[in-house]
Amino acid sequence: MSSAGAQHRGATARASQSGVPDIAAHVAFCRRADECGMDSLLTAFGFHRPDPIVLASALAMLTERITFMVAVRSGVSSPTALVQQVNTVAALTGGRICLNIVAGHTPAEQRAYGDFLSHDERYERTDEFLTICRSLWSGDGPTTFNGKYYTIDSARLNTPFVSRERTQPEIFLGGNSLAAEQLAMKHADCLWRLPDTPERLRPRVATLVDRGVEVGLLVSVIARPTREEAVDAAYRMIESLGAKPIVTHRDFASSSDSVAFTSTYKLADETASGWLSPYLWSGAVPYLGAPAIALVGSADDVASAIIEYRDIGITQFLFMGWPDIEEMTFFSQAVEPLVRAKEAGAALRMAVSSW
Amino acid sequence: MSRAHQNSLSDTGRPDLDAQIAFARAAEDHGIDSLLIDFGWSKPDPILLATAIGMATSKVGFIIAHRSGLTSPTAFVQQINTLSTLINGRFALNIVAGHSPAEQRSYGDMLPHDERYERTEEFLALCRAFWKNDGEVNFAGRYYCIEHGRVNTPFQSPTRTFPELLIAGQSAAAQRLSVSQGTCWMRLADTPARVAAEIGAVADTGTEVGLRCAIVARPSHEEAVNAAQAIAAAAGTVFDDRRKEREFVAHTDSVSFKTVHQLAETEWLTPCVWTGAVRSHGAAAIALVGSVQEISSTLLEFGRVGVSQFILSGWPNLDEMQFFGRHVLPMVREQEHAQLVPVPA
Repeated sequence: MSSAGAQHRGATARASQSGVPDIAAHVAFCRRADECGMDSLLTAFGFHRPDPIVLASALAMLTERITFMVAVRSGVSSPTALVQQVNTVAALTGGRICLNIVAGHTPAEQRAYGDFLSHDERYERTDEFLTICRSLWSGDGPTTFNGKYYTIDSARLNTPFVSRERTQPEIFLGGNSLAAEQLAMKHADCLWRLPDTPERLRPRVATLVDRGVEVGLLVSVIARPTREEAVDAAYRMIESLGAKPIVTHRDFASSSDSVAFTSTYKLADETASGWLSPYLWSGAVPYLGAPAIALVGSADDVASAIIEYRDIGITQFLFMGWPDIEEMTFFSQAVEPLVRAKEAGAALRMAVSSW
Repeated sequence: MSRAHQNSLSDTGRPDLDAQIAFARAAEDHGIDSLLIDFGWSKPDPILLATAIGMATSKVGFIIAHRSGLTSPTAFVQQINTLSTLINGRFALNIVAGHSPAEQRSYGDMLPHDERYERTEEFLALCRAFWKNDGEVNFAGRYYCIEHGRVNTPFQSPTRTFPELLIAGQSAAAQRLSVSQGTCWMRLADTPARVAAEIGAVADTGTEVGLRCAIVARPSHEEAVNAAQAIAAAAGTVFDDRRKEREFVAHTDSVSFKTVHQLAETEWLTPCVWTGAVRSHGAAAIALVGSVQEISSTLLEFGRVGVSQFILSGWPNLDEMQFFGRHVLPMVREQEHAQLVPVPA
């Protein structure tokens, strides 16, 4: 959520985005997210952003309740050192940290961090990485591991994962590939997916849910009092961005090896109308990137859409909007109460990110 | 409490943030420039602890220990630069290449001593290339390969374009690294005469030299010596500190730790430089013991031979720092012209 305050950050090339956090804007966003009842807030990872765990630690000192979902790019640090950092944040904040593990989406960016592995090898390494991390969190004595990517000998840490409810952080994993699904089944609490229509997502979601893994949807929202206003806001937004971002994102898409990103760009390309369903709009993807695939409509439309995803087994949502703080506020006032009225069983969990 | 004793208590890993913030504010009030935040398996992560304390303070700086070799240099610079934007660059880095092969292996690092320094050389060369902030970083070395590296978050500070880099260690490799990549060579204390003889080569290059030691200052010489002896006598009463420290030293590959343990064959290296706590509390417990006047004179003597920074500790830390700030530091400031930067751990 390192774009707090910058409305259409995703429309510019990553290389030209500022990585200096506007701490006042971030704190305002966090506090509003707290008031809006959001469970957690994503701090994303990328060379064009501030470091997510340092930023989360600072914001946690200035806020009371919200949990930070800290993106971790596996493969850029020792697993022991990463667990030490995560446990330190937990100890400082009473456990207000969960992790979004991302294996990387762009070979060029990975190489900038000194990582030269291919897509599937990155997932293989992430498997080893999480095996070591979870062993350290299990607290069953020193961790020793001999793998293809890591060798760890008798690791222990004196800073435990401190939390009232958990002995290790909740682990989210991002990705649409089979490698991501398999990894989630082994190590994660929840797999984030980019959306498609509920019918098309249903079989993949069912497979994961049957194996005890939650599935969450990473999706943008454009909700307004009426459907006409929402559609109008969506179209006006992309008109205001001009044609330049299309080139930026075409370049980015061609350099990415992320199945989630490339399949969503492809989905957007193939959907001439921009409408995958009456409420699922891919029209902003060419301008703002894959996570800009959005639920668009009246409060009731968007609430119904969320319930439809819930009915196929999705239990968590990570929302983005433009402008982020206004969209989140409208969402919590108009959409969320409708969702809560319609949902049955366990409450859906909602996190927020700005882009 | 000795390091070995602390490590044996799992509570040492749990930061008491309120107490740490109170200590940092006391340091601010007593004219201390910065606080060292150590790195080790038994402690919280120093970058994030500095972030938390830094958000609650406005003046005091931090010396953040970093164990090189555990993180991608790009990712490390990104963390450091992010912290600089949040607390206005109020920190230096204390780069430590590691002192215990067993601890290194627990972080996944299997390299021997000299190769760790070689890798740290590459690591810091890369960090400094990022801090130049003049375009993409490309590097193909023995330990790191970085292609088109960039970090969009710059290092921010009112006075510097990159953090001060204090390089810890007593070995020839540590000295070389201090000169090639560091801003200050940080070594453990010894007698002023031997320190003078050993630091010339580094100081001649314009690299600063810093000393790390403990302080036992009291109104009179006799009170200080009694206090020091009491610290040594207390060791081992509730925990076998000496045995633990012996085991640690037997397995360390740190030249500084071994050197100081050898010095500890002699309890008083000078009337002021005392090694009596080294065998129980570890090498960094080599201490200056004496009256306010004696401690002040010894610090200034080190200053005259070329030492310009000090990382100091005490038992208990807060009391010693307050006494130091009230009594020793004003006397030092009165008498010195050279820059002096005392830092309690």
